[in-house]
Amino acid sequence: MSTAHVLLGLLSGGPRHGYDLKRAHDERLPRAKPLAFGQVYATLGRLERDGFVAEAGQERDGGPDRTSYTITDEGRRHLDTWLSAIEPPAPYVTSELFSKVVVALLAADAGRARDFLVAQRAAHMSRMRELTTAKSAPGASVGDVVAADYSIGHLEADLRWLQTTLARVADLQKEVTS
Amino acid sequence: MSALLSGTGLVRGYGSTPALRGVDLAIDEGEIVAVTGPSGCGKSTLLHCLAGILRLDAGTVTYREQDIGLWSEAARSRLRRTDFGVLFQFGQLVPELTAVENVALPLLLAGTGRREARQGALGWLDRLGVADLAEQRPGAMSGGQQQRCATARALVTEPRVLFADEPTGALDVLTGEQVLGEIVGVARERGMAVVLVTHETSVAAYADREIALRDGVLDPTGLGLGVTR
Amino acid sequence: MRPSTLARLAVAGNRTDVLRTVLTALSAMLATIAMLCAATVLSIRGYASRYTVQLLVEPGLRPGVAATLVLVALPVLALAGQCIRLGAPARDRRLAAIRLAGATPGEAVLIATAETAVASLLGSVLALIAYLVARALPAAHDQHTLPSDVLPPAPVLVFLVLLVPVLAALIGALLMRRVIVTPLGVVRRVRERGPRPWPGLLIIVGLPMFAVPWRTDDVDWARNVAYVLIVGGTLLTMAGVVLGVGWISHTAGRLMRRFGRGPAMLLAAQRLITDPWNGSRTMAALLVAVIAGAVALAYKALLATQFRYFDVFNQMMGSPNGEGMGAGAEPDFYFGAIRLVMVAVGLSAAVAAAGLLVALAESIVARRRTYASLTATGVPRRTLSASILWQTLTPIVPALLLALAAGDTLVRLIQSSFTIEGTVPRVLRVPVPWADLGLLGGGALLAVLLAVGVGLLVLRSSTDLEELRIG
Repeated sequence: MSTAHVLLGLLSGGPRHGYDLKRAHDERLPRAKPLAFGQVYATLGRLERDGFVAEAGQERDGGPDRTSYTITDEGRRHLDTWLSAIEPPAPYVTSELFSKVVVALLAADAGRARDFLVAQRAAHMSRMRELTTAKSAPGASVGDVVAADYSIGHLEADLRWLQTTLARVADLQKEVTS
Repeated sequence: MSALLSGTGLVRGYGSTPALRGVDLAIDEGEIVAVTGPSGCGKSTLLHCLAGILRLDAGTVTYREQDIGLWSEAARSRLRRTDFGVLFQFGQLVPELTAVENVALPLLLAGTGRREARQGALGWLDRLGVADLAEQRPGAMSGGQQQRCATARALVTEPRVLFADEPTGALDVLTGEQVLGEIVGVARERGMAVVLVTHETSVAAYADREIALRDGVLDPTGLGLGVTR
Repeated sequence: MRPSTLARLAVAGNRTDVLRTVLTALSAMLATIAMLCAATVLSIRGYASRYTVQLLVEPGLRPGVAATLVLVALPVLALAGQCIRLGAPARDRRLAAIRLAGATPGEAVLIATAETAVASLLGSVLALIAYLVARALPAAHDQHTLPSDVLPPAPVLVFLVLLVPVLAALIGALLMRRVIVTPLGVVRRVRERGPRPWPGLLIIVGLPMFAVPWRTDDVDWARNVAYVLIVGGTLLTMAGVVLGVGWISHTAGRLMRRFGRGPAMLLAAQRLITDPWNGSRTMAALLVAVIAGAVALAYKALLATQFRYFDVFNQMMGSPNGEGMGAGAEPDFYFGAIRLVMVAVGLSAAVAAAGLLVALAESIVARRRTYASLTATGVPRRTLSASILWQTLTPIVPALLLALAAGDTLVRLIQSSFTIEGTVPRVLRVPVPWADLGLLGGGALLAVLLAVGVGLLVLRSSTDLEELRIG
């Protein structure tokens, strides 16, 4: 899982302690699931065991002890390897949306399929509108904008696919009925 | 309160080809409305009819409770330098005039003095980030710069309604985002209504509301379901 | 709109627009000078023995001199009309953009015509100045070679100075009507029906109008009415020929599309059908010059027949040489005058040919993107050149024949035969000067071919693929 790699990436800028890492993670990847503290420490423990990070020192300012970590040379090599590995372009379509639309078009009756498609499109549009508003708000951070772009791009692709599919089905039906 | 701009039973064709076959819609003050649909669905024709650029074959366009369809060509033209701004994909800049002259043009036509019109134009060029191109002609600018000048010209009269037809159609994503951002910003600041014609859902997402067209009629599903030719 | 705005928008333009302004001013100047001279000649009263030029002395000859001057002015006027269309596509686009920015149709017309009107006014005022200066030169006073002692009445002067600008503005406004209808005029264009052969009506009306004053000797025509009928009839006939090219082009295009072979002919046919008025625009001045030339040549034939008639008549009467019926001077004098007319017509034909060249080159440049993209998709330049040749020559050959026929017919309407009374009446018919007309038509065709040749050189540089980028 890539949480470890994200933490390594964040540490490559300089030593940080656990709380700091969680904050940076949530800030940079605002639309990902937020990290739990337990997960941060567990991951750091695993990284330390594998020799990818090392303790850099203790810090105490009026609270509990804070251990800060730094990335090791071994860790940098590991991060490099991960970054140079190409992500396989999704070999299987696993989306629920895809399955539902196909089933709706093939199996369900026309009225039901129509209701579902219209409602789904409306939901997609309203989410896109929300994201667009959020990203064009004056105070939006780069992280917000980049994350919104990612979601908008995917929603747009969904809608385009939906529209094309409907047009294709309409053409097919015309061919069958004519 | 009645709508700022509304169309009832709008019909328009080119020769024997129908482009609009009876469209009803209403747009409120300050509202941003996206008009979407596949190419050839009549969305540009709808925009031209609402903006008073094209004459209708049937139906009425009402702006502030006046039927502008009955107005003369000259009166409707004058509306474009007071109340309406128009922004197209390209082609609305005069190639022989400089950027600042292009932007000042609606003001000059309305009789504003040269100096004052120039000041106003420069302000808008600055806001769109192209003030340094004020003395350039459109031919010497990139597509994105031209479109930002065109946006400045559409906004220079501080219109009540902006009609934008695929304003980002020829732009890359980031430049398009800037142009749309400015348009939305001005609309929110001044309560300007926007009619935004686009075939891209990501552009339509800038609007408060979407009106989908298919084959010259309204398509309430947005997916062309149940629309017959 | 303030005057300063009008001025700025009227002068906004590219190099083609500058060229148009200069050519408009120049042709307006030449036409006005010719018409001012004609008016001066007509202002001379009675038998004016004070002049050394025989043509000015006799009252019977002076209308002919004036008519010749007007005849020379007409091709130049046609050239002015033709200039108005120079660079029209770019200007149409510009005006549509200005309309979109909120200019009313009236303002668009004002902007478009202001430039034309000002340019031609400049030209005609320069003409007036040149005319007045020439009159004031001492050389003109002493020898009385030129009628510097008479001046047409002031209203006539004002009329002549304003005539060209007003005509130019009117034609400009007429040509603008498509853009005026909608600011999207250039973006969307609904296909319209091809031209109808109604210009034929102009010729049908023009010819009798011209003939009336010559045929009705009994009625005591007011001199001015006769002038108006003659000049009006000539103008209508000329307009009919020039506008008729639209129908000729369209018909030729349809025939070529039906029976033509090969891509060049099909391309040319489609061009002729889509833009049938292109021929009228580019050939106007040349056709008017050809008509004027045909009139002069036919008139020479008429005179020659008349002298033969005098000779035959005098022989029959047994009058010795130099006595009896005859003209006021030796035949050579009249033929010399005709030769002068031909030189003048030749000059205006040269001006017209230059105009043709400019117009043709301009029409190729205006379509450079289409030509460049055709080349890009693999259409050989040779095919394009051939198509331009076809589309230019197909309408011009029938148009030239029509122009020659119209010119000859005009003169034939004055008098087509002389009858010698006698025991056996003998009829002398005025022959059709086939050789002369053939030379004139051939010359005009040669000028067109030359212009097309230069136009094809322009095509070569216009089909560079670089042109696809320039918009």
